[in-house]
Amino acid sequence: MNVIETKQLTKFYGKARGIENVSLSVKEGEIFGFIGPNGAGKSTTIRTLMGLIFPTSGSAEVFGMDILKDGPKIRSEVGYLPSEVFYYDKMRVIDLLKYTAGFYKKDCTVRMHELADLMELDLKRRIEDLSYGNKKKVGIVQGLLHSPKLIVLDEPTSGLDPLMQKKFFDIIEGENKKGATVFFSSHILAEVQALCNRVAIIKDGGIIKLDDIKTLREDNYKKITLRGEGLDPQHFEINGITNMTHSQNGQHELRFFFKGDINLILKQISHETVKDVLIEEPTLEEIFMHYYK
Amino acid sequence: MHVFLWEMKAQLKSLLIWSVIFIVIIFMMTSEFSAYYENPEMLDIMSSMPEALMKAFSMDGANLTTTVGYISIVALYFYLMGGLYAVLLGSGILSKEERDKTAEYLLTMPISRTRLILYKLLAALTCSVLLLLVVLGSTVVAMLPYDLDNDFFDFLWLMGVAMGLTMLLFLSIGLFLASILKRYKYSGKIATSILMVLYFLSIIAALSDKLEFLKYVTPFKFFESSTLISTGSLSTSSLVISLMIILLGIMGTFLFYPKRDLHL
Repeated sequence: MNVIETKQLTKFYGKARGIENVSLSVKEGEIFGFIGPNGAGKSTTIRTLMGLIFPTSGSAEVFGMDILKDGPKIRSEVGYLPSEVFYYDKMRVIDLLKYTAGFYKKDCTVRMHELADLMELDLKRRIEDLSYGNKKKVGIVQGLLHSPKLIVLDEPTSGLDPLMQKKFFDIIEGENKKGATVFFSSHILAEVQALCNRVAIIKDGGIIKLDDIKTLREDNYKKITLRGEGLDPQHFEINGITNMTHSQNGQHELRFFFKGDINLILKQISHETVKDVLIEEPTLEEIFMHYYK
Repeated sequence: MHVFLWEMKAQLKSLLIWSVIFIVIIFMMTSEFSAYYENPEMLDIMSSMPEALMKAFSMDGANLTTTVGYISIVALYFYLMGGLYAVLLGSGILSKEERDKTAEYLLTMPISRTRLILYKLLAALTCSVLLLLVVLGSTVVAMLPYDLDNDFFDFLWLMGVAMGLTMLLFLSIGLFLASILKRYKYSGKIATSILMVLYFLSIIAALSDKLEFLKYVTPFKFFESSTLISTGSLSTSSLVISLMIILLGIMGTFLFYPKRDLHL
């Protein structure tokens, strides 16, 4: 079953593009990564799903319900953590959390205190006195206190120190093991790589790649580095070679991505006089940069 | 229901401040009144004033030496201040969520925007009624030293209804502005400007007969004290116009706010 399904989802702000024809589906129980640089349309997609803004065209369903018709019903099972959290400054943390809990039809007190203890959150403090990172912690507790079936995270780790990030990801993984689906937008690839099963890459408002994280990484791309005398990039004008860089620092160095039959490239390399050969798996970061070129 | 209580709590401070302002002004004005009360010299001074000036400030036909005459003059300023409170309340109670960026929290809660408006409207109405009661209550208390007859209470009742309607009218204008304006940051300023322009219109309306029609335009001419006293009731046309504006404003809010993009 698909927890999120968007069909040709499009959002224009006047004439400015938000997203265009975004179609993706997130399966129940998976951790889905949504990667893209700032301004690519990540937040626009998420805000449309959350009912904060309305699509120009296309449609989207969450839990099989239409986002336009069943917004409140959908949101009762969704936990949302925006990239920047803003709350009522004068309120104490506990007041805000109790207010939040009041919107859900179940008792959230136990889970609320569990999460607050876990995140080392002082419930008595006023929100205006909290640092950015501490506000984020409030956001985490607020977003998860009702044990949602779908967790939507929009660049969640900014402002959290590494220790808290680790705790946060542990909590998210824990929720996922208990059955929650996670939709996770980020521009930090390492965390997506570590956590997600599948990813969608969004660029200029459109999905350019949707894949298993494994296939995306394997995808037969190899990162190859050659060092040696008299290496000539022109010898490597083979199909499947991309992102060739050539540097000359005492000796020649060629770096490129190769996608295709590995024997072909090995044969070509064997014709050259090389001092060093490096064949590696590209990191997600590099694949990402590759798609963005 | 807990949204209503939350909003009440959020509005409490401003309600208290406005109440204190009203109480202070009412007691200050009433102490001024002690100099006019049953003072025949005051009548001479009033009648020597240019008529146009008196008209402009709606003081024509008022007898400042009686309790009724006196509050019939201050009534306009009650409407003005009450209207200001209401228009700021109406525009603020909606636009504050976007201004303080709390919209991304509150509007992702499992509640429809229609219900949210409903609770906010209820809270705003409650606050307005409370302020109205403060104004009426402190007027009575401040005037207690004088001989308060039935005429006084009759007028006070009419003034209360008129002030309530004026506040409701501006409340709905404020709500409506906050739900349609893209530049929510300015909704408070725009709302205040509208109120000031309407007040200004009520002043110039008195300057020429050709501007008579303005009395159907500015709410500050809807419930003129002189008419309230002479007829003993609110004029039907004003009642109809103000109820229509209130209805349109509130309907517009329920129509537009749930359908529009939030500015985050």
